[in-house]
Amino acid sequence: MNGKRLSIFSSIAIVISALLIIFSLFFPWWRMEFFAPQYPEGLNIIVYPDKLEGELDQINALNHYIGMQTFSEENFPELQYLNYLIIGLAAIVLIGAFVRKKSYLYFVISLFIIGGAVGVWDLRHALAYFGTNLDPMAPIDMEPFVPPIIGENIIANFTTYSLLGTGTYFVIAAFILLLIPLWKERKQ
Amino acid sequence: MKKWVPAVSGLAAGVLAATVFFADFSPGPKSEAANEVNSNKTNAEKVYVPFGEKDEYYLMASGGHSGQMFIYGVPSMRHIRTVPVFSPDSATGYGFDEHTKELMGKYNWGDLHHPALSETNGDYDGKYLFATDVGNSRAAVMNLETFTTRDIIDVPNTSGPHCAAFVTENTEYMFLPTRFAVPIGSEYASLDEYSETYRGVMSAVTFDEENEKLNIAYQVALPPWSYDLSDAGKKMSADWAVMTTYNTEEATTNLEINASQADRDYIVLFNWKELEQKIADGDYDEVTGQKMIFPEKHKGGIYLVPVAKSPHGVDVTPDGEHFIASGKLAPAMTVFSFEKAFAAIEAGEFEGERNGIPILNYESVMEREVNPENALGPLHTQFDDKGMAYTTMFISSEIVKWDPSTGETLDRVPVQYSPGHSVAAEGDTVAPDGKYIIALNKIAKDSYLSVGPSHPESMQLIDLTGEKMEVIQSAPVNPEPHYAQMIKADKINTISIYDKDESNPYAVYSQDQTRIERNGNEVHVYGIAMRSKFIFDAKAERPDVIEVNEGDKVFLHLTNIDFDQDITHGFAINQYDLNIEVQPGQTNTIEFTADKAGTFPLYCTNFCSALHQEMTGYFLVKPKQ
Repeated sequence: MNGKRLSIFSSIAIVISALLIIFSLFFPWWRMEFFAPQYPEGLNIIVYPDKLEGELDQINALNHYIGMQTFSEENFPELQYLNYLIIGLAAIVLIGAFVRKKSYLYFVISLFIIGGAVGVWDLRHALAYFGTNLDPMAPIDMEPFVPPIIGENIIANFTTYSLLGTGTYFVIAAFILLLIPLWKERKQ
Repeated sequence: MKKWVPAVSGLAAGVLAATVFFADFSPGPKSEAANEVNSNKTNAEKVYVPFGEKDEYYLMASGGHSGQMFIYGVPSMRHIRTVPVFSPDSATGYGFDEHTKELMGKYNWGDLHHPALSETNGDYDGKYLFATDVGNSRAAVMNLETFTTRDIIDVPNTSGPHCAAFVTENTEYMFLPTRFAVPIGSEYASLDEYSETYRGVMSAVTFDEENEKLNIAYQVALPPWSYDLSDAGKKMSADWAVMTTYNTEEATTNLEINASQADRDYIVLFNWKELEQKIADGDYDEVTGQKMIFPEKHKGGIYLVPVAKSPHGVDVTPDGEHFIASGKLAPAMTVFSFEKAFAAIEAGEFEGERNGIPILNYESVMEREVNPENALGPLHTQFDDKGMAYTTMFISSEIVKWDPSTGETLDRVPVQYSPGHSVAAEGDTVAPDGKYIIALNKIAKDSYLSVGPSHPESMQLIDLTGEKMEVIQSAPVNPEPHYAQMIKADKINTISIYDKDESNPYAVYSQDQTRIERNGNEVHVYGIAMRSKFIFDAKAERPDVIEVNEGDKVFLHLTNIDFDQDITHGFAINQYDLNIEVQPGQTNTIEFTADKAGTFPLYCTNFCSALHQEMTGYFLVKPKQ
């Protein structure tokens, strides 16, 4: 019954879900590791919701040989507001714990799915943008490429590994916590 | 009923999360095998350091008249790097860039003798290395984060600080005694006035760590003798230091004969705390701008201990209770007791005076004489973790192991050939490691592939862990290590990239800040080096070109903005006889006059990248009208 309020258990799951989302802000959401014979220790691009970390200078210095544009926080305007969107999402989730309505929960889950899809699209867009907008004047001619969001790729002497970060796992866990009330409170 | 389900799953999730966050998945430490008893290994295994592993010790060997320091790894005995100190080195641009040109002063070479590591509580702290130049009377300090020379000072009134450097227990002072006696200020004076006007001045040098500057705190105008090796006291003798003398005959010609006449020379025993107090009390004369203690006038704190003639080494035992010296022509080593010396000084028990300095009785200070059979030419002693002594025998070409507390000879090992000094693992500290000793041989002769009449020197690694000492590796080395220091590798903490220094007015860290500024006939270039280009002025049509007028003074400030390990750039201008290096993150300056009109290619000299050959530009000098 739609009119029935969700149980306390479900409310708690929703609160935890909101906390996990906030928690995820402090962890990287995605990373790419670069390994080459000369870089056995690996170079990293580590993406947080609000900043980039890792050996960006080294990676940029190397990327200019294939004419790739410079990675920097300025090139990713998302980093300026992404954490506010995430905090907003957490707030919307948290409200669900007090509204305690299934309909609201469906709304939150939909929002989650849309947000996730937009996120994946944005990341893929960035990867495609950097991999295909190569300067034709670059010393090394290179076929345009799009590295995968998850998985391995080979570019010249570098093998790259794209990985989800701890933050993303928290968000996945948060999402699962939102599904649990639906399961628990399914019609018997 | 089913309450255990959430409880267990919660626990499991917690453990999983904890594992993900905190567990160390990196490959575990090397197995215990690394610590396996050495005796199970062949000599080849003992010195083989496979790729991916590092040597256990750094060996910092003085480069003698090359003016450089040689850095080796032990036990592999691989030469890792040569660090220029007193001589120019085009490979690193040393002596070409402004800072190192200033350090080198007007000199082109140096004779780097005895290096000394900085100490804390009598043990190496791995921060700095001090060295002296016998050739041009200077002292230097090398920073061990970067293995670069940071300061060099001229030491006035002194000629040839040979036995230095040795540092006190907490690096309060580095003392620089002199090998050659000269008149104060190196003024002209006839050798007929040698005994009256010449002096063997010793300098007390302090080191200001914050500014990385050496400074002369005071000097002591010792008698006109030659001062050889020295050592600072440890623990109970920490306030004291000892140094050997020869030519107490005060011969002025043919020293080989004339300085070998007296049966005994002296060890100078001095209390540096007392000398420091004298300076604080104003008990000194101001001479040539230095605070000078004249022992015959400002009495106290300095004593002479008779020793077998023409001694070389004098070494304080790790416990600080004894010092060991030997005449290099005599067969015997003598163990002296600090305690006995202190008692004799306390009692005022002296056998006489030389130049106003009291002489202690040999018998009252000597603990024992040690005379290994047929061992000849004892030069220098190092110690192991059990306090056993290892003395190099120059003439009988061997190292003798003996027990300073009994005088018993324990072992001997021949070395090829004629060891001058030796260096044991942290073997001159309060806590030697044992394990290894390296013979620094003066003669290599037939040891290596011949390269004609000029031979390398030879260093031989000796394993001390077995029943018997055993030579396990030999390595040729450029002329010529005198003394060396061997320090556990984990005490050294180097950097590989220089930090950005936003306060440095000469540094530019981004391409758009690069510029060429003209000021009359001065041209100031603020440029960057990066893989694989120079940018001197990003707004110019050709950013990698410097164009000046003949006679202009050029100041080039070059910053390496590749903040990446081992991406070093060089900078040279064809036919302009200059070359510098910039390490990752470093800003370096070179000044020169464009005194040759014409077209001169410039290029990166240190191979940096696949397009290193393309890292070029032009230096264009317009002729005078």
